[in-house]
Amino acid sequence: MGRNRTFDEDEVVERCAEVFRRTGYEGSSIDDLVAATGLHRGSLYSAFGSKRGLFVLALRRSAASGALTDATTDLVLVALMELAWRDPEIRSIAFGILDDSPGDTATTLGRRLVDRAVETPDHSDTRKETS
Amino acid sequence: MNTVTITDSALIVEPQGLDKLWSFTRKLEIPLDHVRGATLDSGADSEPKGLRAPGLNVPGKWSGTFTKDGDRSFWNVSAPGETVVVELSDEHYARLFLTVDQPRSVVDAVNLALQQH
Repeated sequence: MGRNRTFDEDEVVERCAEVFRRTGYEGSSIDDLVAATGLHRGSLYSAFGSKRGLFVLALRRSAASGALTDATTDLVLVALMELAWRDPEIRSIAFGILDDSPGDTATTLGRRLVDRAVETPDHSDTRKETS
Repeated sequence: MNTVTITDSALIVEPQGLDKLWSFTRKLEIPLDHVRGATLDSGADSEPKGLRAPGLNVPGKWSGTFTKDGDRSFWNVSAPGETVVVELSDEHYARLFLTVDQPRSVVDAVNLALQQH
């Protein structure tokens, strides 16, 4: 079935996590994930089964890193907003991450949302200096 | 167009009307154990599909068996841009590319059935 895996799975999952954090779950197309990872579409499907499979892995890996980093919180926010209400497994992973983290959940999530809102986006690739 | 039905143990795909003819397929019945997941993939039909045999390939419509990079896929797509991709294991086809009514809800239903199975 297909070819052997010749890519670094951790790196592929991390690159996809980055795409999910930036453009959300529904907003990230398979074309976006193909472009971010450099893998063929067929390889992505045979390695991870589905976009959902890739997201679950990204969420679990992010959680396994220990402390609740901004990167993990962003992924949890995407999970809560877009998937948790219709996907019991993802809801349970997201709640598990929050249960394991210190402090008040609502405060942690709210603070991160507000911080993220005022972060300066990096458009250096597409924008020319005008001054 | 295809109808997708989920039973306790299987995913059933039935090409509708003349698509049965073009795809040379009346019905596919896949045990849920062999279904790895479903994805709404708007860009799936704009990629090269590989070699077709047997089946139909006219603009905007792909129906039948296509083989690419050693993966055999079933295609029955008639509405570009909203293709549902179902990944399989240990089956004749590595994956299915389907046009369905309500693609988002079909994708969610398949992925939920896999969790509950």
